[in-house]
Amino acid sequence: MAANYWDSSQAKYWTFTKPELASLRTGLAQQHPNLHNKYPLPDQRHLSIYVQNQLTKLARRLNLRQQALATAQVYIKRFYLSVDIRKTNPYLIMATAAYLACKMEETPQHIRLMLGEAARQWPELGVTETSKIGECEFALISTLQSRLILHHPYRALGELQGVFGLSTEEAALAYSVINDCYNTDLPLMYPPHVLAITAIFLAVVLRPAGQPAGLQAHSASASASASSSSTSTPALSGNAAQTALAGFAGLKQAGPKLGKLVDWLAESKVDMEAIVDATQEMVSLYEVWESYSERACKEVITRFMREGGGIGK
Amino acid sequence: MRAHVLALVKPQRNLSSPASTSTTASSTSTNTSPHRTPRARTAEARLSVIDNLTTARETLWDPRYTSREPPDIRLQPKQVGTLSLYDRTDSNISVQSLNAASVKVESGCEGEDGTETKDVKMNSKGHPNSFQQLEKLGEGTYATVFKGRNSQTGAFVALKEIHLDSEEGTPSTAIREISLMKELKHTNIVSLYDVIHTENKLMLVFEFMDKDLKKYMDSYHSPTNPSAPRGALDPDVIKSFMYQLLLGIAFCHDNRVLHRDLKPQNLLINTSGQLKLADFGLARAFGIPVNTFSNEVVTLWYRAPDVLLGSRTYNTSIDIWSAGCIMAEMYTGRPLFPGTTNEDQLQKIFRLMGTPSERSWPGITTFPEYKTTWQVYATQELRAILPQVDPAGLQLLEQMLQLRPEMRCSAQQALSHPWFLDVHAKARQGEQVGQGSGLRGM
Repeated sequence: MAANYWDSSQAKYWTFTKPELASLRTGLAQQHPNLHNKYPLPDQRHLSIYVQNQLTKLARRLNLRQQALATAQVYIKRFYLSVDIRKTNPYLIMATAAYLACKMEETPQHIRLMLGEAARQWPELGVTETSKIGECEFALISTLQSRLILHHPYRALGELQGVFGLSTEEAALAYSVINDCYNTDLPLMYPPHVLAITAIFLAVVLRPAGQPAGLQAHSASASASASSSSTSTPALSGNAAQTALAGFAGLKQAGPKLGKLVDWLAESKVDMEAIVDATQEMVSLYEVWESYSERACKEVITRFMREGGGIGK
Repeated sequence: MRAHVLALVKPQRNLSSPASTSTTASSTSTNTSPHRTPRARTAEARLSVIDNLTTARETLWDPRYTSREPPDIRLQPKQVGTLSLYDRTDSNISVQSLNAASVKVESGCEGEDGTETKDVKMNSKGHPNSFQQLEKLGEGTYATVFKGRNSQTGAFVALKEIHLDSEEGTPSTAIREISLMKELKHTNIVSLYDVIHTENKLMLVFEFMDKDLKKYMDSYHSPTNPSAPRGALDPDVIKSFMYQLLLGIAFCHDNRVLHRDLKPQNLLINTSGQLKLADFGLARAFGIPVNTFSNEVVTLWYRAPDVLLGSRTYNTSIDIWSAGCIMAEMYTGRPLFPGTTNEDQLQKIFRLMGTPSERSWPGITTFPEYKTTWQVYATQELRAILPQVDPAGLQLLEQMLQLRPEMRCSAQQALSHPWFLDVHAKARQGEQVGQGSGLRGM
């Protein structure tokens, strides 16, 4: 999108350090101590996963693009840094963020269609007039200080894919890791290229790990479900079996690629500390993911929406 | 470097800050400091990483760095690419207004309620400023523009009031304009000071400019040449305006933004002779609509021939064509190609530039709007049409007004054209207030 990252509003106004994020959230908690005591929330990342899953379902109905989805998730993250989620109707916020993201990503959806599909997807939405989305959008733009242009890691991944000679599977896996990073605070903390490199690193390093089955199967399903590259499915399942048999054969393959990646990182001026941190965040996310429960998230939201008389508008 | 790479994959349940990470890691590694020169890192990095790395799992849960048992962790992205990733037509260019921002600041509507003033009480949340709303400056499809005065400082501003639409929420045109203006800050682009959300409307606070270029030309009286035709500017004024226009365009293009609707009405002039690009807005990835939503015809006069021919792959060169048309108009006081319809616009262009053929423009016959019935004109000399332009200026104009988009010069190339040598010299001496950051592009 427009303008370069370093001069962007994303870099100047919407990038935070971990302590800054923590203090913003503590600030919110202090404003509404009663709400916080009454409605404890699950892990931040669990809620993000819930939001992402829900948005993905909506996106499938409307055939939205991945990048619009990512934009919507960042809007929601930013919004909930200024407004306590317990005071909102998260379903309305999700529908509105998706609506606004589509406008920004130049794939606008009609407001009626958006409302209709959102209402079908989420009976909890409780909104029947399009003007509600309009009002909520207005509030969202205001809260985000009209700084709506985002820089995503997808473009950087596309550019670096060739530099590192990533295979189709590796690139697909890196794409998936980027998708996952929207469940963490990383998009609020680091420039897009850092996240892209982190995703590439994870894809290259972890692909041939001790448990190839899980990974390989997963990237197989990733490419099977990605609309365009369906041809790679059978080759991949064969590959997975082979890797399982050959043990560390995969690692030898990754060796030179990893060497190139490490050389490149050492030569480049990329912020290594940021990549270290981002990698840890991602590894940690996948651990946390193991204990994710959709029902738990849904129930918490239902509770505070019902009893809290959400302000979500 | 070793510290980094090892720490890179060291798992931590409770995420620590980057600082503490590197401390932990370097205390366990033998010979590294986290801050090495890139050169020193390379060889060492390869040794320590490639040689030490056996499996990712082993490295991740190396007992030297963690006392924890390797967890049953699988890297298993849950959110896979089920949505279309590859067929996205990801324009790397943000599109700009062609018509929706058809509010012309100072476009001659004043006087309508010129004497009426009212105080705009802004939502005070975070906005200590309040503005006195003065006369209306113009009205467009999605906004009304007023002159305003900051109640505290007394400074003038332009207040653009956005109408909200119940069917579309905040108009995407407005969203596009606001969000772009938040990113683009340049001396030759009009500044957006603030966005004010009131109860039910959106107010954009822009830097106040005295006139648009159209009005400036209409009211211009040459101090040096009383017999000059009405609307024609003096050569040194033209050169200064062109230089600033090109600086603004170059900045947009460097930031992958196309303006798409450059015309004298969208170029604002202030009393110190500064020129700024305004009216960024319409969000359309493809195609340039001919009509606004209100069926008001958008001017075609500055539209590039490739766009008129139906090209959907136009690029930055369309703004250069517009700049060329504007340059010619400043010399004569009249639009260079005042077409009435798409077809007529093309005819007017061909009459001067010559009718293109496959020979002069390979691929022309593949354009959607290509017609075999075009009248065939021979190319005319620009010098004959514009005798008042000096030779260097004519040469620059010729480079901008090329029928084929790939033949047009870029904004940066135009800025380094010899025609601007004296502007560069003046800017260097800091004589010209109006040329602010005039040293760019040299």
